Amino acid sequence: MPDAARLRLWLRSVGRSVFRVGWPRTDKDRAAAMISSFFLHIHSAKVQPHSLRPSYTLGLGLLSFYLFGVLIITGIALMLYYIPTPLAAYRSMKDLQFVVTFGMVLRNMHRWAAHVMVIAVFLHMCRVFFTGAYKIPRQFNWVVGVGLFLLTLFLSFTGYLLPWDQLSLWAITVGTNMASYAPWLGDYLKYLLLGGNVIGPATLLRFYVLHCVILPAIAVGLVGVHFFRVRKDGLSAPARPEPAPVEEERSGRFPASTRSYGLMALTDRPALPVEETDPEAEDEVMAWPHLLYRELIVLLALLVVLHVVSLLFDAPLEELADPTRTPNPAKAPWYFLGLQELVHYSAFIGGVLVPTIVVLLLLLTPYLDSAPRGVGVWFAPERRWANWIFGVLASVAILLTLIGTYFRGTNWAWVWPWTG
Amino acid sequence: MRNPQTSPLRLHQAFAVLGVAFLAIFAWVFFKEYLAEWRTIQAQFRRLERRVKDPHALSLAPPVGGIQQIWLTDLDRVDRCTTCHLGVDDPSFASAPQPFTAHPGAWLRTHSPDRFGCTVCHGGQGEATTHADAAHHRVPYWPEPIRAGELIEANCGTCHRQRVVPQAFWLTSGREQIARAGCAACHDIPGFSGAEVRAPRLESVGYKLQPAWVNVWLANPSDYLSQARMPNFRLTPDEIAGLSAFLLAQRAVAPLDSSAIDWGQANPQRGRTLFGEARCVTCHMVDGRGGTLGPDLSAVASKVRREWLFSFLKDPMRDQPDAVMLRYRFTDEEIRDLVAYLTTELLGSTEPSATPDLRYQSPTLVEQGREAFVRHGCYGCHRFAGMENLPKIGPSLVGVGDKPVEPAEFKGKTVVPTLPNWLFLKLREPDALLAASRMPTYAFTEMEAAVVVIGLLSIRKTELPASRVTTAPQPEPYQPQGAFGALVSRYRCLSCHRVGGSGGTLSTVPLDRIGSQLQRTYLIDYLQNPGAVRVGIEERMPKFGMTAEEARTLADYMSTVFVDDSLDGPFKPDPEATRRGERLFEALGCRSCHIVGGRGGYVGPDLGDSGRRLKPGWIEAWLTDPEGWKPGTLQPNYGLRAEEARDLAAYLMSLTSGVGGRTR
Repeated sequence: MPDAARLRLWLRSVGRSVFRVGWPRTDKDRAAAMISSFFLHIHSAKVQPHSLRPSYTLGLGLLSFYLFGVLIITGIALMLYYIPTPLAAYRSMKDLQFVVTFGMVLRNMHRWAAHVMVIAVFLHMCRVFFTGAYKIPRQFNWVVGVGLFLLTLFLSFTGYLLPWDQLSLWAITVGTNMASYAPWLGDYLKYLLLGGNVIGPATLLRFYVLHCVILPAIAVGLVGVHFFRVRKDGLSAPARPEPAPVEEERSGRFPASTRSYGLMALTDRPALPVEETDPEAEDEVMAWPHLLYRELIVLLALLVVLHVVSLLFDAPLEELADPTRTPNPAKAPWYFLGLQELVHYSAFIGGVLVPTIVVLLLLLTPYLDSAPRGVGVWFAPERRWANWIFGVLASVAILLTLIGTYFRGTNWAWVWPWTG
Repeated sequence: MRNPQTSPLRLHQAFAVLGVAFLAIFAWVFFKEYLAEWRTIQAQFRRLERRVKDPHALSLAPPVGGIQQIWLTDLDRVDRCTTCHLGVDDPSFASAPQPFTAHPGAWLRTHSPDRFGCTVCHGGQGEATTHADAAHHRVPYWPEPIRAGELIEANCGTCHRQRVVPQAFWLTSGREQIARAGCAACHDIPGFSGAEVRAPRLESVGYKLQPAWVNVWLANPSDYLSQARMPNFRLTPDEIAGLSAFLLAQRAVAPLDSSAIDWGQANPQRGRTLFGEARCVTCHMVDGRGGTLGPDLSAVASKVRREWLFSFLKDPMRDQPDAVMLRYRFTDEEIRDLVAYLTTELLGSTEPSATPDLRYQSPTLVEQGREAFVRHGCYGCHRFAGMENLPKIGPSLVGVGDKPVEPAEFKGKTVVPTLPNWLFLKLREPDALLAASRMPTYAFTEMEAAVVVIGLLSIRKTELPASRVTTAPQPEPYQPQGAFGALVSRYRCLSCHRVGGSGGTLSTVPLDRIGSQLQRTYLIDYLQNPGAVRVGIEERMPKFGMTAEEARTLADYMSTVFVDDSLDGPFKPDPEATRRGERLFEALGCRSCHIVGGRGGYVGPDLGDSGRRLKPGWIEAWLTDPEGWKPGTLQPNYGLRAEEARDLAAYLMSLTSGVGGRTR
């Protein structure tokens, strides 16, 4: 045998050890590729066309995940230049801007992706609510999702302090002061967060560790759980007209499993062509290429938009943080400005009572609204009341945030944004 | 396989478009990095360098590339200015365009870039690598843009903490103005402790002033004297009434008794003559001519009471222990005539009010006045018994050069809201910025206000390492004891003269080595009958009316204590040397400034009697290095050899005729 051919064979065997299936050309191979890859098996091999429809999911969950990925990658790159001590932290920002190759684009992308992620996660939550996707069997995944939403806010909040400029110092001052309004625990909570009574080097280190180690680790874990539940329960869909028993019978060994597990049965019986033999899969399509292709396009679109935004708009950086110089008004990060607006009316009611009730309501939503009706469609008439209540609450939250952001000036007095 | 929702074609199209867009954007990211401003500028510099330098110099020049920075570790400061300012330390680029121009002057020799970087002196954002971000002009969120024009001298003062910084004229003027205006009376200003204005004590002022004058003065001091040192406190009529009552009620020490004086015998004409003989105008201004050490007397008649003036001229230290004014040896008759002259002829334009206001007897009004006195911090300049421990009423100016200013404070003003502008406005119109300010209105000219701003901007918040700071030691106050000390105090020698760096500045000659400069017999004579050594100078030593005994005491002390041993060499008259000296004297043209034998110029001292006045060692030393003995002197340094200086000294010591001497 010529050496070239042997080499080709050897290379092929190396390739096969990594990509067991190779480039799939049949549906069976496609399914096998999905299952045998660590990264792809997060998907089911086949998906409902319903869940591919952009108008149903709006791709918000996927976007949130991508943004999280972008943040981890850019965040790790930024960590190479960042020193978490007060003066050096600010110097790091200047170095990123003026000296580090691609430094400013990196920082911009991290900053803007973080803001967009807060919005994406919030909208994802709204989407899930309005399509009733938190109903049985997905109640707990909603709870995990609420946890992830809060985690996203906290991740963004801890990252806000790290540039150590006036903007970050005072936003965190306002934010941590709001935490101190909680009865009994408030002051301890603030002390725990700040590592003292005022923001200082200890706070910066704490926020750095939270932002770069603890919270991302928790977030990765919770994202895993979140995806695992999605993978187990499938994407929500309108109730099928056909009853379930046939399905259970046919799927044999896994009667209780959802349809994605039909694939296991399928691999057990490789001789049977998928399309014809599995009636359950009749209206499903292969994840490869239908789902993966769409995911790739969404990823590309996101990267293009993020790059353009990061090239055009620089992340803000004000003067070096000066604890003796309070700006007026001192504002929290924008996603807490609704809360700050409430606090302005009443510290306890706005800063403690309302947020606690809202978070509790969110956590209990799937258990309070447990009737399995109106799942899988936007604004199902059966769920008119639930949607109204949620819609009004979400609108109020957005409205308060907008007011806090654009309509509040010196001494938190009302200003029209176009007069400033 | 059925295809949901989107057809594959449309997906392919989307993928293609997005893929191309992504590649394009990614390329954009790279190009943006590659086309960074500083890279373009460095390329320009390389082209310029090839034109400016010859091939040999070019081959020796270090290669230009990459970001350059100077890291000042002790200040934790990074300056990357030299990334673009590449010719800054290379004289070949003296006439090159910016940013490549070589640094003008010799500044880089005294302030090496390795040790000082750029922004230490210039300000701006040294970390930046673009023109805009480097804060060549004002940029948001960077507190200190490059200090343009004279403002740069504020940065000199950050390290150079002494009052006088020779090469920073505006800074020095500003600091002197701050000291002169007495800012430190109300504000805590680093480097200005002890620079408070010594205004008259007011515990006995009720005996001194005419009530009508008090009202005029308090309403606006410059109405009485255009050059008044006291600023306008913008007092309300109620405050003026109260303060007036309070001041006129202050009668701690009664004036010396003048009831035996027959004022009818007073002769103002003799008083006027005496006023001239005593050289009062050395310190006092009258009708625009005279010194500024004492108050302007142009309108003193409307200000003070006759009895007080009599007492004051007899013993100025009676109610003003710190008075600058000396105690003359006048007879009562002389004083009477002087007072008559001052109170009848120096009326000024303000007519004294005929009917004195006697409201000062109301105790409530006096109490209100005392409150106003404290509220406006009058005790800061006018030291007052019982108020020694009250705090300065103005805010501390520690770190004022880093004071943040809010644009809101400039409401209605059309100036750029910067700290220099804020300070300038505050100095010119204290009420212009904030609703109510207790700061009085000084009659600063624009120039005065501007230099004060430069002086203030030099006071920064951050503490510098000691190795970066230069200061001048504060002179110890000179307080001689014994008979000499009593005379120095009586005649207030230190109001004009300096000893050991402490004392007045009116006389340009310190007394520290006067005993080695002047002969004792001359001193004795001069103290009793002072004349002008340099006739062109307005300020002259007053005629004290000193006794011969006193003059001897002073001269003896000075001749034995105020000496510099290096000046006291042996001297033997030598006719040969005298002749050589005379030839040299004529050859150098000394006569164009000095009078000898009745002929010569009026710029320098009359040398006609220098043999009776000066000591030879001093003449020799002086001629060898005039600038070293007296910085800023007009005397040229001829670069004389030691023998030549000795010959000149021999010649000058031979001049004892006094023919040209204009002893006045």
